[in-house]
Amino acid sequence: MNVLALDFPPITHLFEWPDILFNGTWYALNKTSLIYLAAVVITSAIFLSAGRKKTSLVPVGVQHVAEAGVNFIEESVVMETIGPEGKKYMPFLTTMFFFILFSNIFEVIPGIQFPANSRMAVPITLALVVWLIYNFVGIRSQGLLGYFKNSLFPPGVPKALYLIVTPIELVSTFVVRPFSLAIRLWANMVAGHLLLVTFAILTAALWDATYVGAVAPFAMLVLMTGFEILVSVLQAFIFTILTAVYIGGSLHPAH
Amino acid sequence: MVASLVSLMSIVAFAGPASASGESVGSCVAEKFEESLHHHGESDHVTSDDIHHVAHDEAVQDELEACLEAPSPILPELTEIIWGGAAFLILLVIMVKKGFPAVKGAMDARSEKIRADLDAAEQAKTDAQTVQSDYEAQLADAKTESARIIEEARVTADQLRTDLSAQAEASIAEMREKAAADVEAQKAQAIADLRAEVSGIALGAAERVVQSSLDADAQARLIDAYIDEVTGSNG
Repeated sequence: MNVLALDFPPITHLFEWPDILFNGTWYALNKTSLIYLAAVVITSAIFLSAGRKKTSLVPVGVQHVAEAGVNFIEESVVMETIGPEGKKYMPFLTTMFFFILFSNIFEVIPGIQFPANSRMAVPITLALVVWLIYNFVGIRSQGLLGYFKNSLFPPGVPKALYLIVTPIELVSTFVVRPFSLAIRLWANMVAGHLLLVTFAILTAALWDATYVGAVAPFAMLVLMTGFEILVSVLQAFIFTILTAVYIGGSLHPAH
Repeated sequence: MVASLVSLMSIVAFAGPASASGESVGSCVAEKFEESLHHHGESDHVTSDDIHHVAHDEAVQDELEACLEAPSPILPELTEIIWGGAAFLILLVIMVKKGFPAVKGAMDARSEKIRADLDAAEQAKTDAQTVQSDYEAQLADAKTESARIIEEARVTADQLRTDLSAQAEASIAEMREKAAADVEAQKAQAIADLRAEVSGIALGAAERVVQSSLDADAQARLIDAYIDEVTGSNG
C-alpha cells in the first residue's frame, strides 16, 4: 500500500472530489453533490413510504423511523424551544434534520465514507436560509423597529450596559450567527473525517510494517467510527435545535 | 425509488478521490513543468538546457509550489452549493407537500383514534356503571316488592283463615242450633202425636170400661188428667 509519504495527497484532497458528470460546467456533479441527492432520495423514500402505509396501532419499519423522527423534532426541538406555535415550522425543521443527518452519516457508510457536510456548501447555504427565516419571523411578529429594538436592546438590561451589549448583540445576532452555525457543523464533520482517515492510514501503514502494531489504531478506528455515528446525529440535532432556538427568540423577544 | 437509490449509491461508491483521478501533487507538478517547458521552448525539441533553465526559473518554481498549496477547505464550491441547495429545496418541497403531512397525519389520526377509543371505553364504563346501578336499584325494588307481596299474601291468608274459621264456626253453630231446634220440634211433635194417640187409646179404653158415654168436655178433662198422670209417672 502506497498511501503514505510522497504520494499521499495534501490534506484538502481528502475533501475535494473530481467532477463525475458535466465536467467544468457550473452544474458539474461530484461525489459531494451525489451524497446530497442521496440524502434527498433516502429521506423522501422513508417519509413517502411511511405515509403510504395504512396506519397501524404500532408503527413498524420505515414508518417507525419517520414517526420517531417527527416525534423527536416535535417533543425535543420545537416544544422545548418555541412552544406550540412553533409547530408550523416542523416540516422545515424535520427536513433540515434528516437532510443533514443523511449527508453526515455517509461518513461511516463503507465504500462511500465521506460526510458531505465536511464541505462548506450545504452548511453555509442552510445557515443563510436559517438567518433569513429567523430575521423574517422576527420582523413579521414584532415589526421592523420592534424586532431590532428587542434584538439590540434586550429588555431588562441596565441602560448603561447597552454600550457593551448592543454592539455584541449586533455582531452576534446579525453577523456571526449564520457563520457559527455553518462552521460548527462543517468543522465537526471535517474533524471526524480526518480522524477516521488518520486511523485508517495508520492501520494500513502499521499492518504493512508490523501487523501487530495495527491492532491499536484499528481498535481506535472502530471506536471512532461508532463515535462519528453519534457525532453525525448530534450535529444534525444541534443545527436543527439552534435553528429552532433562533426562530423562538424572534417570536418571543422577552426570552 | 429503491432502484434510483441503488444506482445513486453505486455512482457515489465508484467515484474516486481527487488523488486517485490524477490530481495528485505529482501529476500537478508534472503537468505544470511540461507546460512551462512548452512555453519556454520555441520548437518541439526539448534540450537538457531547456529543462535546466526552466527548473531554475523562480516563476516556474512558484508555480510548481502552488501544487502543494491546497485550496481553502472553508470556501464553498459553487457547484456543490447549487446541487446542495437544489437538493434541500427539492426535499423541502417533497416533505412540505407530501411526506410530512402524510406521516404527521397518520400519527395524529392514531393519537385521535387512541383518544377516541379511551373516551369510548370510559363512556362504556360509565354506561355499564349506570346500567349496573339501575339493575341494582331494580333488584332492590323487586326485593321490596316481593317482600311486600309476600307480606300482603300472608296478611290476606291470615285474614282468609280467620274469616273461614269464623264462617265455619258460625255455620257449625247455626247447624247445631238448627239441629237442636229440629230435635226440639220433632220432640214436641212426637209428644203431641203420642198424646193424641194415647188419648185416643185411653178414650177407647175408658169407653169400654165405663161403658158409659161422657160428654166431650168430660172426656177431654178425663184425658188430660190421664195424660198428666201418665206424664207424671213417666217423668
